Order: sequence, then structure tokens, then C-alpha cells
Amino acid sequence: MKPLFEKMKHLLNQFLRIYYTKKLLKLNKKKVFNENEMTFKNHQLEQKKERLISKTESKELSEAEVQTKRQEIEIRIEKELTEAKQNIITKSADIENKIIKMKAKRDNLQNALISKIENDLLALKEKNTHLEKVISEAKKTNKDLNQADELIQEKEEELKNNLRKINIIESRKNTEENTDIHLSLSHLTMKFGGLKAVDDLSFDVKKGEIFGLIGPNGAGKTTVFNCITQFYKPNGGDIYYNDSNNETNSLLDFKVHDIINLGIVRTFQNVELVWELSVLDNLLVGAHSLYSAGFFSQLLHLPKIRYEEKVLKTRALEVLKKLDILAYKDALPYGLPYGVLKKIEFARTLMTKPNLIILDEPAAGLNDAETKELAQLIKSLRDEFNLTIFLVEHDMGLVMEVCDTICAISFGKKIAIGSPSEIQKHPKVQEAYLGGE
Amino acid sequence: MEKFKLHFKRISKHPFFGFVLFGLALSLIPIFNNFLPVSFVDSAAKTLIYFIVALGFALLIGYGGLASLGTSSFIAIGTFAIYTVMDLLNMPFALAILIGVIVALMVGVIFGFVSLRIEGMYLAIVTLGLSEIMIELFKNFDKFTGGVSGTTFSSFRLLGQSLSTNQTFFIIIIAVVIAMILTYNLINSPTGRALLAAKNSDSAARAMGISVIKYRLIAFMVSTVYAVIGGMFYMAYIKFSMGSTWGLAVSLNILAAVVVGGSKSIWGVFIGTFIIFGLDLMVFQQIPFLSQGAFANFSFVISGVLIIVVVMYYPSGLIGLFKKMTFKLKNKLAKKSKGERKS
Repeated sequence: MKPLFEKMKHLLNQFLRIYYTKKLLKLNKKKVFNENEMTFKNHQLEQKKERLISKTESKELSEAEVQTKRQEIEIRIEKELTEAKQNIITKSADIENKIIKMKAKRDNLQNALISKIENDLLALKEKNTHLEKVISEAKKTNKDLNQADELIQEKEEELKNNLRKINIIESRKNTEENTDIHLSLSHLTMKFGGLKAVDDLSFDVKKGEIFGLIGPNGAGKTTVFNCITQFYKPNGGDIYYNDSNNETNSLLDFKVHDIINLGIVRTFQNVELVWELSVLDNLLVGAHSLYSAGFFSQLLHLPKIRYEEKVLKTRALEVLKKLDILAYKDALPYGLPYGVLKKIEFARTLMTKPNLIILDEPAAGLNDAETKELAQLIKSLRDEFNLTIFLVEHDMGLVMEVCDTICAISFGKKIAIGSPSEIQKHPKVQEAYLGGE
Repeated sequence: MEKFKLHFKRISKHPFFGFVLFGLALSLIPIFNNFLPVSFVDSAAKTLIYFIVALGFALLIGYGGLASLGTSSFIAIGTFAIYTVMDLLNMPFALAILIGVIVALMVGVIFGFVSLRIEGMYLAIVTLGLSEIMIELFKNFDKFTGGVSGTTFSSFRLLGQSLSTNQTFFIIIIAVVIAMILTYNLINSPTGRALLAAKNSDSAARAMGISVIKYRLIAFMVSTVYAVIGGMFYMAYIKFSMGSTWGLAVSLNILAAVVVGGSKSIWGVFIGTFIIFGLDLMVFQQIPFLSQGAFANFSFVISGVLIIVVVMYYPSGLIGLFKKMTFKLKNKLAKKSKGERKS
């Protein structure tokens, strides 16, 4: 009876922990929204200033009068701006308080989980030493009996599995301690029936780097992607992620539509925009997780949703301007050049101010000139928005040019990891691409 | 005066202005009730009632991409809910709306949960099956529905006063305008965009943080509420409802109305509903030459041909055709004015 009870308690704890974590992430989103609010207020008041000044200019006053009026206006705007700022600051302080409370609640549960993990770890280690003993004894005593051989094999298999489990747990600790790791895959395994699409794959992505995942066709790159974004739930292994507050989460705890709240956004191989909506509205779709207005607020168009709409529209325009595609803002994406579509998708990912962007074959369907431009764009985006970029690509030119670290995989297994030049020289990579001798 | 003009210009550009104007234009029908044939007024009311239902359905199919064939049973729930609450229990209309909406939401959630797993044709078939079950239920719950022979409705009361058909017509017009405004709001909000995104690509929508299941359920619930309210007004105006009439034909007609008119435009939905439900009685039957003899059923031929033509050549509905025409016209006018300026 007792173990069942323990299990139930553990499950409940797990559920609550994830629930609180999700709430925390929502609050973080509100913080992002507040930042957007700031730029919106600046923008709005600037416009107001211009309007007022142009009004005074049209009134045919003497120059001195215009000057004084202008000063008056500037003072007024300045005042309004500070007021707005104060407002936003109090709001964000409020959110901060809520975050602290929520965190306290969550951390209790988190600690329980961690202590359980530690216990598991100890138990596993004990089991392993025991197993090793059994194996060595079996080897000593019955050397030539087939039965013993089978036993040894079985035990060794178990030992291996246990070691893998220990590794997974330890890599969690490792990610927690090393805050410069952004994403850590640990013994990731994904099976489709009998086929192992991803087989025991582990690597770390560091903060601020451009990480490339390469491999021949059918190597399982896209499967890795889909495992990270939780479109597939992996059969084994774990994926850990350090968010902007240096909190470590296992991505397996989340659903696909929660992943964006952690600050991970992805693009798609063949641009997946909403073809019936204008470019601006497409960006607003990307900002969907920033809206907090409820259904009735939307139904009745209450002030809250109107305000959020305005704030996020200014953000969208800002992003479009940065990517140099402001001219297309009211156009429907259907029929626009492919390079522009890719840029729109980029812009959509930037709406939520993410930390990690996952690009699925960004150069697919682009010509050479466009690919070069894309490489520039990726680099400049990384520098400007302080991003980490993780990409899968076929175009070797692009990968070698932009990536800081490259991981090469073949048939779901890691064959090499390192800087572009190292990968180019690596004999195993050459073999995977060009075939053995 | 100048200021007033400017103000008016700003208001007239607001989309709600068109809806209110439309409501005012419609209210001419009950005002000139005495000069119009009864069949004309009746079919106008019916068209408006089905327009409310079609608006909800347009959200479901045009934005959610979910083709349901269960609309008619929701209308039926509306008719029977108002009959039960107002006639049997003698309660006010507000309560009827509340109970009707609650029942509809419960049934809508059942339909919706079925829809979460399946798409396209299969969804249509499943909802068709569910609606057939509903018809059988209506036949058997004869206390609330009148069973096989249907039930009549005594009088529509609002605030303790029973309303004449003419007054009911006004209420329907108000409801239509409100439904148009609410639909417009919903379409131009994160919900509408999320639905479109989910229809376009399920995986992309989920990657953007849109919970596809949630929004599909919302679309289902909104469309059921619209259908139930449409059903209530149907009972209030027509005053008769029979379970077995709410079968596949009505659902298909509403589907056709939305597809013909254009599922992504409120005006398109109106045009479609008018063509399917209003064209025959409101226009053709009023022309003496067409209403007699060999041409009596001519209008059905016309609407059938229209559906075929629209589906083949204008996938975005008749509203797409209108938009194209106005766009061309504007271009022509612009060119003309340019030419004049040059010369």
C-alpha cells in the first residue's frame, strides 16, 4: 500500500510542479509584454509630440512664440513619459512579486523532485556495484558454462542501462551548474517501430552560439528537432534547457504549445505562414503567447485587447523595420518572393523575444545570393538580439560560414562534434557523406 | 459643420457603421409590413434567422476549417429550449437564452471533443451521425419537443409583454446586428487569427504557442451558441418546430450558403444566405411570370447552378467576385482621373 501512496504523491507533486512552472512562464511572458509596452509608449508620445508641434507651426506665430510653445510641449511630453514609465515600472514590480511567490511554491516541489532524483541516483549506483560484483563472480566461477554467459550478458545489459540513467541524471546537474549551457541533449533516443531514428544522441548547445546539426539524408536531423520542440515524445533520454533566468527545465515536461513560453521558437522547412492573413497579422500570430486578454474581452473588443493589439502592432512594425521588410506589411504573403517569406518567418519568431531560435533548413529553396544574405542575417540577428541559434542545414557553404560549432550525425548517431574546420577534416564525416573506401 | 463632416467621415469608415446601416435598412421591412406580401416578410425573417446561424458556422468552417453537419440539430435545440422554458415553464426569455446556451454548450463540447481527433470528411460524417441521433432523441422526448408531430409556440414574450410578429422582427434585426458585430470582433482578434493559423498548419500553430484543441473547441462552442439563438428566434417568429425537419437538408443548406457567399466575409455570408434561403420566396415568387406554371420551381435550378458555378470558379465565394469587380472598377476610375489630369 505504501509504495502506491508514495507513487501517487510523486505524481501529484510532479503535476503541481509543472503547473507552477507554466504559471511562472506566463508571468515571464508578461514581463516581455511590459518591455514592449515601454517602446510603445515612447513611440506613441513621440507621435503626439510631432502632431502638437506641427499644429503650432501651422498657426502663424512669431518665432519666439513657436520656441516657447515647443518647449512647453516638450516638457509636457516628458512628464507624460515619466508617468507612463512609472506606471509600467510599478506593474513590472507587481509581476516580479508574483514571480517570487510562485517561485517559492514551485521550489518546494522542485526540491522534493531533486531529492528523489538523488535517491534514485544513489540506488542506481548501489545496484551497479552489486551488478559488477555479480558479473565478476560469475566470470570467475563458471567460465565455460553457456548459462553463465547468458547471465553475464543480461547483467551487463542492465549495467549499461543503469549507467545511461546515471548519465542522464548527472547531465541535469551539469546543466544546472553550467549556466552557459543553453540546451543539453542527453542520450536522446527516438524509435519509430523497429527503426531507431535518433540513437543515444548527446550534445550541449552553449549560450550565444550558432550551432549546426548536419548529416546525410535520413540521418534523423529533423527528428531531433521535433523531439526538442516536443512534436515527438522521445522514447529515452532527456532534454534540458536553461532559460533566461538560468532555471533548468526538462523539455519533456511541456506540451508543444508551451515550448514557446520557455523562449524557444522554431521555423519550418517549407515556410509555414498563414496565407490568408497580411504580413503584419502573421507577426501577431507569432506573438499569440503574449496576449493575456480573455475570450470575452476579445468578443466585445474591450479596451484591454485593443491596448494589447496596439502594443504588439508597434512591436511588429519595429521587427519588420529591423529586417527591412516594412514595405510588405499589408501585403498577403501569397506570391511574395521566397527570400522575403523566409524573412517574414524570421520576423515572426522574433516577436516574443526568444532566447533560442531553431531553424529547420533555412537555406532550402534559396539561390546562392539569397543564401549569402541569409548567412549575414543570421549572424546579425544573433548579435543584435542576443540569441542562440540552432540550425539544421543541407547547404554546407552556409553551415561552414555561420556556425560556431557543428555536430555531424549519421543514422541517428553522433559521429563528430567541433568547429567547422575540425568537422571538414574529420575522416568519419567524410566517410558518412562520400561513402567508405 | 466642417468638423461634423470630418467626424462623420471617420465614423463611416468604421466597419460597425455598415452593420448598423444594414440593420436600419432591414427595419424598413417591418415598417412597411402592410404594403408587402406576407410570404416576402416571412422569408426575409427566415433569411435573417439563418444568417445568424450561418455566421457562427462561417467561423467554424471558414476559420476553423471544420466541416460539421450537425448545425440543424443545434437550431432544433434552440427551438425546443425556448418552447420548454417559455411555454411549459412560463419563464422569461432571458432564462430561455441561458438554458438554451448551457444545453448547447454541453452538446457542443461533446461534438467538439469528437472533432479534436478527426478532420475533414470524417468529421462531417461523425457530426452527421450525431445529428441523426439528436433527431431520434427529439422524437422520443415528446414532452419537450412534441414528438413526431412537432410543437407550436404560443407567444413570444419580452419583459412580460407578448410581442407581435412585427415587433419580433425588430428584435431579430437587433440580434443580427449584434451577431455581425461580435463575429467581426472575434475574427479580428487573436482567436480568429489562431483559428486560421491552426487551419493552415496545425504544427506551425502549435509551435507559435496556440493550443489547437482549445481554439477548435471555442469555434465549436461559438457556432453552437449562434445556432441555438437562431433556433430561438425561429421559434419566436415561425412559431412551429418539428424534430424530423431538422435533418441533413438544413445543415447542408447552411453549408452551401456559407460556401457560396464566402466563408471569410460577413457580407459574403449574408449574400450566401440570401441566395439559398431568400432568393426564391423574396424575389422569384414575387414576379408573376415566374411564380406560375412551368417556372414555379425555377429558382431552385438557379440556386443550384449558382452553387456549381461559384464552387468551380470562385473558391472564395461570391464576395470574392464582388471584391474583384470593385477593385477593377476602382482601377479604371483611377486611370481615368489620371488621364484627365494629364490632358
